[in-house]
Amino acid sequence: MRAVLGHDLTQTYGAGPVLGPLDLELEEGEHLALLGPNGSGKTTLLRILATLARPATGALQILGHDALAQRQLVRPRIGYLGHQSGVQPQLSALENLEFYAALYHLEPERARAALAEVGLEAVSGRRARELSRGMEQRLALARALLHDPELVFLDEPDASLDVTARELLGRLLAGRAAVIATHDRALAASLCGRELELGAGGATRPRLGTPG
Amino acid sequence: MIRDTRTLRLLALAAVAAMLVAAYMIFIYAPQDQVQGPVQRIFYLHVSSAIAAYFCFALVLGGCVHYLVYGNLVADRLARAGALVGLLFTINCVVMGIIWAKPIWNWDPTQTWDARFTSTVVLGVVYAGYLLVRRFASPGRSAMRLSAVVGIIGFIDVPIVHFSVQWWRTLHPGPIIEQDALPAPMLVAFMVTMVCTVFLAAVMVAIRYRLELEQEARVLESSASLELLPQR
Amino acid sequence: MNGWRAVRAVALRDLRAETRGGELIPAMTQFVVLALIIANFAFDLDRVSAPRISPGVLWMVIVFTALIAFGRAFAADRENGSLDAMLLSPAGAAAIFLGKALAAVVFMLVIEAFLLPGMAVFLGSPINLEVVAAVVLATLGMAALGSLFAALAARTRAREILLPVLVLPLWIPLIVVGSRAVEEAMGGGALQGQPLPLLLDFDILFVVVATLAARFVLDD
Repeated sequence: MRAVLGHDLTQTYGAGPVLGPLDLELEEGEHLALLGPNGSGKTTLLRILATLARPATGALQILGHDALAQRQLVRPRIGYLGHQSGVQPQLSALENLEFYAALYHLEPERARAALAEVGLEAVSGRRARELSRGMEQRLALARALLHDPELVFLDEPDASLDVTARELLGRLLAGRAAVIATHDRALAASLCGRELELGAGGATRPRLGTPG
Repeated sequence: MIRDTRTLRLLALAAVAAMLVAAYMIFIYAPQDQVQGPVQRIFYLHVSSAIAAYFCFALVLGGCVHYLVYGNLVADRLARAGALVGLLFTINCVVMGIIWAKPIWNWDPTQTWDARFTSTVVLGVVYAGYLLVRRFASPGRSAMRLSAVVGIIGFIDVPIVHFSVQWWRTLHPGPIIEQDALPAPMLVAFMVTMVCTVFLAAVMVAIRYRLELEQEARVLESSASLELLPQR
Repeated sequence: MNGWRAVRAVALRDLRAETRGGELIPAMTQFVVLALIIANFAFDLDRVSAPRISPGVLWMVIVFTALIAFGRAFAADRENGSLDAMLLSPAGAAAIFLGKALAAVVFMLVIEAFLLPGMAVFLGSPINLEVVAAVVLATLGMAALGSLFAALAARTRAREILLPVLVLPLWIPLIVVGSRAVEEAMGGGALQGQPLPLLLDFDILFVVVATLAARFVLDD
């Protein structure tokens, strides 16, 4: 079963097109890098794949389900990290994760374990707004992966991560399928086996690297 | 619902002709009211406007529901057209009502807000809210979906507003701005005016629908010419 | 039911965030104090006029405070990406909406717990159980509609203008019935026309409608 199978995806803003038409395939466990300048539609595409936005046209299958008609079946199995962290600044790191653990019907201990996985146990009691940008990003990553999704979508995760955290990223993504939007081609090369390049205005010129 | 320009032009002419007929009925055919005098003639168009406004309400409500359930763009466009025309008729109805009421009852502002007046004003505000959301939301599906929610909930609210003010008025009675039972010629004049007004409203909706369609096509064209051609 | 766990979690999160250093309740409290001061002078209140003017002052203050309270319900979570993260969880848009509306209700009740005694002390308004009941019931309905349309307005370019325009007509039934109930209760007479059950009916209707509409407003 393919992790992602997208066909003829487009997105519009008003009547004007901003993305596509675009075909996309992703195998289980495969990592795909999404490259392209600002405004090329990377975030738009990721949001469509994460079922947070509906495409104007096209079909999308995720983990065997119709992502448009059966969103609620798809969502528990995917993770998404956008430009914003998704954490409540007044709550502590641990409380933030415990909140999401509750939403995902997970044991509260899972939150603590997730913090340890990203190396934040020491600051588990600290409020999210008091964390450094790098720590906040790690917390956001922990949140996105809390429920152990098979497929994750990351929008420029490297933007605020320090070097050690990038190795962390590679470790955390092992065994999962992932689509990662990034400007960092070195990161893309080290983490991902394939690349998809979006041009300005959302046109696509797929460039296949050697599958990893 | 896509009519060619010729049909629309004919319909527009027919609507104008219908309103001329209605004018004849109102000013010449119908006798003058003995109690209220010539001012009473406003009543015909006032109530007809209200009926036309509620006719548009039904279009907007139906269009919004249909859009949310089926995602049908025609339904959404119809709702949009209906909202604008409905707003115009609502304003017309309210203004005429105020003009009619003032000379008759030495209009006491504190007694103005009866159930019908309040709910009609609320209807107008809901239409306006629908159009504003349309305008200020992200264009495309977001605007359609959000305005559909406004349309549906707003319109559910109108009868509730009416009911609550009625409830309030039973404990706080005020004058009821009513028309007594109509003698036959007046009734005929009213029926004719009502039919003509609703017909006018329907034609206006059709014209507006057509305009919306054309505007969408124009936007699509202009952005297509700027777009980099898609590749796979 | 499983959904209630999510509702509770979302509500508790908002409440906890507010107690930890939120600006909402202090801002609303300040507003209430100022409104009472202004009302005192603008209406030239004294012992005689206070009972008559009080219902009007009460509802004006509640409406404007509510606009502030509900207006903020969803803005922060949209901005920091939490809304997206919550939507991806099994909780569902309806549960998220109810949780946030519930938290907003609690904020309003906290303010009303301050406003009503404040009015009794500073304006001499006769506050009794029926007044409180009417206010609480109206608040529930206002919260359901206010939270929904705040979320809706947050998705447009004109959030501050749109929220009052959209929500005030919807609140009219609640305010019409609620103010009548408060007027009679303050006057000391019996409540005529069953306003309290009527408010409850409105509340049930509005909560159900808003919850059903939540997924169209919060989600794409």
